[in-house]
Amino acid sequence: MTFRRGSGFHLRLLRENSRLNAALESCRKVNAVMASAPIAPYNSSPLGNSSSQNASRESLKMEPLADVTLLPGEERVIDKDIIYICPYNAAVKGKVFITNYRLYFKNTDSETPVTLNIPLGVISRVEKMGGASSRGENSYGLEITCKDMRNLRFALKQEGHSRRDIFEIIFKYAFPLSHGMQLFAFLSQEKYEENGWNVYEALEEYRRQGLPNNEWRVTFINKNYELCDTYPTILVVPYKATEDDLRKVATFRSRCRIPVMSWFHKENHAVITRCSQPLVGMSGKRNKDDERYLDLIREANGTTKLTIYDARPNVNAVANKATGGGYEGDDAYQNAELVFLDIHNIHVMRESLKKLKDIVYPNVEESHWLSSLESTHWLEHIKLVLSGAIQVADKVSSGSSVMVHCSDGWDRTAQLTSLSMLMLDSYYRTLRGFQVLMEKEWISFGHKFASRIGHGDKNHADQDRSPIFLQFIDCVWQMTKQFPTAFEFNERLLVVILDHLYSCRFGTFLYNCESVRDSNNVRTKTVSLWSYINSDTSLYINPFYTPESSRVLYPVASMRHLELWVTYYIRWNPRIQHQQQSPVEQRYKELLALRDQYLKKLEELQLSDSAPSSTHLTNSSTPNAATPNQHITHLQTPF
Amino acid sequence: MFSGKQTKPTFKSYLPPLQTDLKKSPQLPIKKLEAKLLPGEIVVNEANFVRKCIGADSGQDDLWGKLVCTNFKVSFISHNSLPQQRFQCTHRLLGEHDIPLACVEQVVTVNDVKGKQKILGSNQKLKFNPTELILYCKDFRIIRFRFDEAGPESAKKVCLAIAHYSHPADPQLLFGFEYVGKRYHGSAGERVNGVDPGGGLQTPLFDCSSDWDREIKRTGASEWRVCTINQGYFISPSLPEFFVVPVSLADQDLKQYACCFYSQRIPLWCWNHPSGSALVRMSNISDPQQQRKVEQRISSAITKSHPLRSDVFKSDLDKNLPNIQDIQAALLKLRQICVIESFEESEEKWLSSLESSRWMEYVRTFLRHAVEVVYMLESRHVSVILLEKEDRDLSCVISSLVQLMCDPHCRSLHGFQALIQKEWVMAGHRFLDRCNHLKKSDKEELWNQYPAAFEFTEVYLTVLGDSMWVPVFSTFLFNCPRQRAEHSRDFASSKSIHLGQDQALRFPPVWDWSQQFSLKDQTLFNNPLYVGKIATCLQNGTVKTFTHRRSKKNYSSTVRGLPSLMRNGSLGPNDTLTRRNSLVLRLRSDLSQVREQPETPSERFVRDFFSRAVDLQGLLLPQLLPSHLSVWKLYFLRWVPEAQIPHGGPVTAFHKLSVLTDEIEMLQNQLRQYKGAAGTANTSHAEHSKMYFKATSTPQQCPAPPEYLSSSFPFSPVGNLCRPGILGTPLSKFLNGAKIWLSTETLANETI
Repeated sequence: MTFRRGSGFHLRLLRENSRLNAALESCRKVNAVMASAPIAPYNSSPLGNSSSQNASRESLKMEPLADVTLLPGEERVIDKDIIYICPYNAAVKGKVFITNYRLYFKNTDSETPVTLNIPLGVISRVEKMGGASSRGENSYGLEITCKDMRNLRFALKQEGHSRRDIFEIIFKYAFPLSHGMQLFAFLSQEKYEENGWNVYEALEEYRRQGLPNNEWRVTFINKNYELCDTYPTILVVPYKATEDDLRKVATFRSRCRIPVMSWFHKENHAVITRCSQPLVGMSGKRNKDDERYLDLIREANGTTKLTIYDARPNVNAVANKATGGGYEGDDAYQNAELVFLDIHNIHVMRESLKKLKDIVYPNVEESHWLSSLESTHWLEHIKLVLSGAIQVADKVSSGSSVMVHCSDGWDRTAQLTSLSMLMLDSYYRTLRGFQVLMEKEWISFGHKFASRIGHGDKNHADQDRSPIFLQFIDCVWQMTKQFPTAFEFNERLLVVILDHLYSCRFGTFLYNCESVRDSNNVRTKTVSLWSYINSDTSLYINPFYTPESSRVLYPVASMRHLELWVTYYIRWNPRIQHQQQSPVEQRYKELLALRDQYLKKLEELQLSDSAPSSTHLTNSSTPNAATPNQHITHLQTPF
Repeated sequence: MFSGKQTKPTFKSYLPPLQTDLKKSPQLPIKKLEAKLLPGEIVVNEANFVRKCIGADSGQDDLWGKLVCTNFKVSFISHNSLPQQRFQCTHRLLGEHDIPLACVEQVVTVNDVKGKQKILGSNQKLKFNPTELILYCKDFRIIRFRFDEAGPESAKKVCLAIAHYSHPADPQLLFGFEYVGKRYHGSAGERVNGVDPGGGLQTPLFDCSSDWDREIKRTGASEWRVCTINQGYFISPSLPEFFVVPVSLADQDLKQYACCFYSQRIPLWCWNHPSGSALVRMSNISDPQQQRKVEQRISSAITKSHPLRSDVFKSDLDKNLPNIQDIQAALLKLRQICVIESFEESEEKWLSSLESSRWMEYVRTFLRHAVEVVYMLESRHVSVILLEKEDRDLSCVISSLVQLMCDPHCRSLHGFQALIQKEWVMAGHRFLDRCNHLKKSDKEELWNQYPAAFEFTEVYLTVLGDSMWVPVFSTFLFNCPRQRAEHSRDFASSKSIHLGQDQALRFPPVWDWSQQFSLKDQTLFNNPLYVGKIATCLQNGTVKTFTHRRSKKNYSSTVRGLPSLMRNGSLGPNDTLTRRNSLVLRLRSDLSQVREQPETPSERFVRDFFSRAVDLQGLLLPQLLPSHLSVWKLYFLRWVPEAQIPHGGPVTAFHKLSVLTDEIEMLQNQLRQYKGAAGTANTSHAEHSKMYFKATSTPQQCPAPPEYLSSSFPFSPVGNLCRPGILGTPLSKFLNGAKIWLSTETLANETI
């Protein structure tokens, strides 16, 4: 049962590793720690099991670890008899199996399979639970907190420090960076036909938007990350701004993140620019270069007032003055209009998600579900982010250029710009375009993935961690719910993206910015998530997709329509039916196949139209093709 | 044939309400503002130069016209059309601005100069001249009329008329009587156009013993019989004339027991599970001295009718479910937060307000209770008695939910209609007194979770709900079949209408959808997933393929006089039963395990259900977690302009599906032609298509969704929800949470 429930992830992995190796089935009997050889060859003697005294009679019959194929580059580290304390069933006896990439558990004590298949990257915290003298059944063991809305508890035998080795190994391999080791993405040997690192080329993307032109130019001033170390190398700036101007503006913007153009409206030439807060400070400093630069942005398409969307609540913006930041005062920026969007900071979002986890895991809070959900404020935050993005999109499509910033311009700013682009530009609603959007607005512009997710880092209480990207994906999901035909990709893509946000299997979401990625050679040493996804796109295609190139999508950012994404947040609960694919999607695909079958049939018939013996054709066709004909006769029954 | 057919839905903002299929005069523009009246409909009062509020407070989109009150509806007739051309389902009885009087819940008159306001009831006086009339409707609409330019006297009169006629003192004053009397019992010539109730329909009405017989055969309930003792309503005033009882109970016994039950309602059989377990509904036994004895006799009779002689499980609905007052209160609160409170202000507390309305909680309670009953029938193989004091409200909900979950036939359009007819109309749900929304909402949940398993659509349920307010149909007009018969007889004699052999006025049942909608609009009721599903099996396009198979099997095993054969039939080769048996065995072995939290067997049953793949033609259980139930947005939010998603909503995917399904049908037709099947049906594809949205002539290219689609489709909030003082610019809804600070100086002053 938990086999299906607890491991949507597991099933996916199984599929991608469909090269199931028969020989591997035998490795279930091998209990020796195999550090180097990834897969045991066929083991002839099951009785040679060294720990057979531990294994119950039942477990001898079972085939633990039979159904997992290791990834290229993945190596086994340890396996151990353990009890999984499933929050939904009773305690489950089984075997855990740890590699440098994953934790795999399979039960040995009952007919119904219970498995767990968790990339170690998902783990945020490992704790020891109980002591050698703790009383009560299963009170001695490990508690693992995951980044994907679940916790795992394992119990071990109290004698002989049985948990010491496994604790240390999980701790070491789940947090390799804290132990001077490499992330799995650098060890993986996976090969895919397509190189996902080529999905996004900044120049190509700007060209698609119609840039450069006589209003906007491409600058290479940051090619060695000298202007701004958290920005990409290629930037688009007002045509009239000189390199010198850019350097001067950089001194007045937090972390030198100057306003740069990120999206261009082909018809009305309005743009979305993004940056960090101005360094106004308590004294209310002004900077003529910054003011003039903003005017250049405004003038590029003759916008009368440049709208500056400050994502923060105004109180926070004011508070930032104390640390040297602030916002654009209207004395200094007379041709600008400042709008605060009231989106809270990373700490508020982290706490909100924590509360959400409390009411959905392990069990859904049943008695006061709606008010509990309300008190997490998660949907309210989603609503504010979405309504902020709607305002940006609406402003731009009405012909006015906008500038978006928060404090540093890498969290809330990325959410707002990417979501408004998703509303404005149908290209980003395709499977490819969505990848480009994430590469551009999130990865290249320096959303601090490493800090926000804490890849390979043991410091689970790090105040820098926050589910900002998850919140963005949730907003995208809300949009796909409101516009079921507008997106080329489906919900599954969003879930896979989130799973690999944590897994550390691909290099895509590693590190905080391009400069660090360059110095770690991420592009050459790791595989991109898009290599994996684009190698089998059919899984991620929304069959209802209808391209509508010019449509601007305005979702309704109202609590009436926002829903909790239960298929993500409550996916570990076995009381919920998990479907690999929505039944409607599936039915639609079947119907598409049926239509094609009919069309083919019809074509065949039309070819042999003149021939009188159409029955002959039916008889000669394959048995499969003959079935439709049989049933076609039934169609004449009136209904 | 690709070329000859109509490719796009035509949408007209207004159609004459009556008889669109008859030849009508070609000149469309109507010179004079005249109400379009149905047979028997008369104008009671009217006022000219009335303004209907449409959009913003500015009133620039408002319409000018004439407000008419008839004995059937409130009608507004205008030369102008609405600001934007839009789609609307054209209703055959009602025009775009019409509100049936039975749908009006509250009539509020306002004089904004004097600052006065009054809720008008029937036969009341109005001491001021109204400047404004607000109609709060039972379907959640709020409609405003302004009388700024109208004559004060005529304004007052029309308001009083609406207030009076919307609250008739006697059910016979309901327009349905007048209409049916004129339309179907008038001249002989008109009779031809009239409907023959039940005759041309596939929906059994359960008003004759043969309908019940068929139902008994369909469900294999061979130990049950149709009882006729209530013919002429001599035993119980609220029971139907025909109903089903255990064979072991003789008419004489039943007559004797009847007096012990509340309102003489002898226990009624509802349905048989394939395992032979029966679902029975029963009212309380009013005589405490007889209670044990009668209960025992009834129970043992039901046990005897069970192939396994299983026990009977009594499910006390009054104890376990909210009562009807609670439900009504919940609906009112829900309406309050959906349409009356300001959108923005209620936004922040939406979820907790929704919770405090308790609507969702009640929906969940009903579903959960129905699942418990299903568990008893399905896994424990016992018959279930639904016990409710009067047996006329809660048991309607539970019994129909149970059947929806268990019986795939009930998920077809006709099966569902038969279900409503059987469990609600015939069993005597007091539509006249209650008119609550309970049942539909529950089903909606089930529909939501298994979209492909239902033949009908969300639109269908919504329209069905609305039809309760159109007092023409017999279906939802009366408290019980007897009331219907009596009223119609009385009415007929007072109007000296000759009823002939009918014995009753021929009210058209709501199931004759052509009374209300054109064929084309009716196709909106068809769920493309459902039709499509059958198509993938390459079978005929209706559910009948399935039911036929099943009833045939039961026929063979229910030959009277061979009860043993029947018993063998359901115990031995019946695959469903053996499958369930194995399920029970598995349950037991699992139960022996130690568990941290105790789990009841029925919880286990539910969990087990969700761990298997769903067989859409088998048992369907709803997801009961509160996180997985959501409010029925199309029904409750369709009039709310701020909640409308332009170009979005589930209907956009529905559109794609419809087009594809239509295309498949078209291809099937073409293939059939090639089979040399005389080429009969192919030409009329366009008319006979079951889908609302049609494929284009270039089938490979999917057309873009039509511009008019929105999350409210096929309804439109325009002009249907005028809360005082809510309407700003369309963008106002987006601006929540954003404060525009034009002066940072004042901001700085505020914060220091």
